[in-house]
Amino acid sequence: MTGRHPPASPEPGRGDPHVFLSLRQITKRFGHVTALDHISLDIAEGEFLCFLGPSGCGKTTLLRVIAGLETPDEGEIRLQEGRLDAVPARQRNFGVVFQSYSLFPNMTVARNVAYGLECRGWRGTRKDERVRAMLELVHLADQSDKLPHQLSGGQQQRVALARALAPEPKVLLLDEPLSALDAKVREELRGEIRDLQRALRITTVMVTHDQDEAMELADRIVLMNQGVIEQIGRAEELYEQPANRFVAEFIGRMNVLSGFGSAGEAGLIGVRPEHLELIDGAAAGADAIVGRIEKSVFLGSVTRLTLRAGDQRLVVELRGKPANAVPGATLAVRIPPQSVHRIRGAPP
Amino acid sequence: MITPSAGASASAWRLDSDRLVTFALAAAVAVPLFLFVLVPLADILMLSFATPDGFGLGNYVRYFQTPKFSRVIANSLVVSACATVITVVLAYGFAYAMHRTAMRWKTVFGLIALLPLFAPSLVQALGILFLLGRNGLINRAFDLGIDVYGFWGIVIADVLYSFPHAYLILSAALAVADARIYESAQMLGAGPLRVFRTVTLPATKYGLMSACFVVFTIVITDFGNPMVIGADYNVLATEIYNQVSGQANFEMGAVIGVVLLIPAALAVVVEKLVSRRSFAVIGDRSQPLTVRPHRVADRVAFAYSLVVCGAILSIIGIVFLASFVTLWPYNLHLSLRHYRFEVQNGIEPLWTSIHVSLMAAGIGMAVTVAAACVLRRLGPWAAQALYFLSILPAAVPGMVLGLGYILAFNDPAHPLHFLYGTLLILAICNVYHYHAQGFLVATTSVNQISRVFDEASAVLGGGLLRTLARVTLPIIWPTVASVVVFFFVRSMVTLSAVIFLITPETQLAAVSVLLLDDSGNQNQAAAFSVCIMAVVGAALLAFHFALRWLVGRDVALVR
Repeated sequence: MTGRHPPASPEPGRGDPHVFLSLRQITKRFGHVTALDHISLDIAEGEFLCFLGPSGCGKTTLLRVIAGLETPDEGEIRLQEGRLDAVPARQRNFGVVFQSYSLFPNMTVARNVAYGLECRGWRGTRKDERVRAMLELVHLADQSDKLPHQLSGGQQQRVALARALAPEPKVLLLDEPLSALDAKVREELRGEIRDLQRALRITTVMVTHDQDEAMELADRIVLMNQGVIEQIGRAEELYEQPANRFVAEFIGRMNVLSGFGSAGEAGLIGVRPEHLELIDGAAAGADAIVGRIEKSVFLGSVTRLTLRAGDQRLVVELRGKPANAVPGATLAVRIPPQSVHRIRGAPP
Repeated sequence: MITPSAGASASAWRLDSDRLVTFALAAAVAVPLFLFVLVPLADILMLSFATPDGFGLGNYVRYFQTPKFSRVIANSLVVSACATVITVVLAYGFAYAMHRTAMRWKTVFGLIALLPLFAPSLVQALGILFLLGRNGLINRAFDLGIDVYGFWGIVIADVLYSFPHAYLILSAALAVADARIYESAQMLGAGPLRVFRTVTLPATKYGLMSACFVVFTIVITDFGNPMVIGADYNVLATEIYNQVSGQANFEMGAVIGVVLLIPAALAVVVEKLVSRRSFAVIGDRSQPLTVRPHRVADRVAFAYSLVVCGAILSIIGIVFLASFVTLWPYNLHLSLRHYRFEVQNGIEPLWTSIHVSLMAAGIGMAVTVAAACVLRRLGPWAAQALYFLSILPAAVPGMVLGLGYILAFNDPAHPLHFLYGTLLILAICNVYHYHAQGFLVATTSVNQISRVFDEASAVLGGGLLRTLARVTLPIIWPTVASVVVFFFVRSMVTLSAVIFLITPETQLAAVSVLLLDDSGNQNQAAAFSVCIMAVVGAALLAFHFALRWLVGRDVALVR
């Protein structure tokens, strides 16, 4: 486990006024599988955090631990000053939007949104006004008397969002809320979630396996793999300073090469496809990499080439459509020294 | 702006109200199961091992040495297996026709298929005798010399008797389906037979196994039909009655009871192994399957259903007819003379039965639905234990349970001795006699609800009781209603468990039918059966229309 976080403070969650939700050494096992392996994490108030990672990395389990739907085997959770470990899910007052449509099928849209309010003793016009306001927030005020199965997938998830936000939760937890929707609706709802979060300034944790989603929405991304956090940081940080090979290859594309490093240094280096510079083959110096183009894909703004140099393959992205970028042609590129990433971590 | 309140940030482990509710519910379900199932069973086991020389296998050795005993066991197994296969195959076809074709008359067929539920088990045998017996309609009219007494008589009677049980279970399995899977199969090029084999059959496997298990248990523990039509083809259920009631031989009764436990228990174990592999067929994103008309399939289904329903109707119908004629089949003039019941207490037992059945319906619904709901909240070990206790009664034949109740509650030292001889113990006996079936129906329904609803309710602040009241029960309430009907109907028509527990003051209707048949008054027995069927029929129709009226107004996910 690597990354700048967490700061090794002796009294986690205390002292730092920005820490709102704090996890310490959270471990969760299912039988012999360790889903979460001593996860520690601090979340600031109002922050939008994304748990990103391949399926099975533990991101959903971590979210469920925060929600109180799973009990961790070890570790502690704090919300501001208070320990959350023994607080059951229904007393945490965290809003959750599930991946699949979780609206109660026997209740109308309005009654679904009112449910959490009724659990907290809201009554009468106060409740009705809150329901109305929440439905307006997600632009569904006119659908309040419909049953869930009469709504589209996107509408259902917006109702789920309104339902989760209605009881003024302290934290909003989103478990891949968009993954069941089609692309256009997903994009639309993604924008809505971002706007809502910015407007309400509610501390939000979202689980996603979609890199674009995480990069667009998150203040910080928590990149997870096999039950551990590989790196925490802003999207640019993860992109520009990947902590290890997994991060480098998961966020964007990265050519991981051996034997190109400065003399005497062992290990791997990485270079982004778009950072490779095309050079004139005849004038190539010692730092040139000369290879044969195996594949050329025109993507509009860039052309992506697969270059074979010796026993290594390089992906090169060149702006526009270079004239001689056709399969079979020979090409020389160089790695600008400032673009070299040192890659830690064992090969996969 | 979201303002955090201090309320939720507890600093220490606290006694959560949900834990308390779960514990209280589990206790409310488990303690009576212990008192009214485990203790009576233990008493039977103890008695079966009790000999003049202390505990030992003496009773077993003595009984196993008689060739008659092994023949009775073989008889029971063969007749039950045979009836089970026939029933489940017939019922699957019928349920399929009802739910997966667009044939006509579905409502009528559905009602007719349930008719055998309206009647005590011996009514099928009675009807078969009126039709095929020595002095039956067929033999009288055509002089064919058909001898229906014995094996085939029991098989036919028990197929008719258990058919609606199998149909209801398979109906539940076939009624719900995810249209997307069927469409996927068709798009991948699967023909109707392949779709049936690879989609329909696997999706209904659980229901199919469950039906086999329930039918086998019903047949092997059935006592009324073999009493009436079995002649010298002895089965375990009739043998235990002869030993206990005829010869007051409680030790032998207990031995047969323990032996009778084995096949039923095996059936339960098999069912349990099967259900472990089952999974929720209906997810939270399923699309309900809509049936499209198909000329050939619909006609075949219609013809098939017509034959099945015709058979059921003719048996029930002939009992009606026989009750209203002067002397079947010699004098067919209409007469009401058989409705002057010349039996102990006259018509009184009918009112007693209604009283007991209403109590059983209320108690049975409460305990089985509570058990099904609380099961999901318990840890794996507690859930296993509760599940085992809940389905244990399925392995306990009515005759055995009834015998156990005599042994347990007739003992003045038993703290619940005051229950003995009351109507309440008859109701309790019926509840725990049929607990497993009611529980399985409730559990199947509860398990079809995606857990995500429970979780959504929890994170919104809903406690266990609120989740049950606002989410779970509103979704499964048609099932809850059907559990109520189930217990009422079973209690009205059951014979096997309560036959040991009745007193002259608490005589039940079904027992009157048996006594009348036993004393040679077949026509009066038919008339009393008609009274029971009328009560049960009225109750079922009332429920049926109430359900239809309410379902039309309340759209539920699980249909």
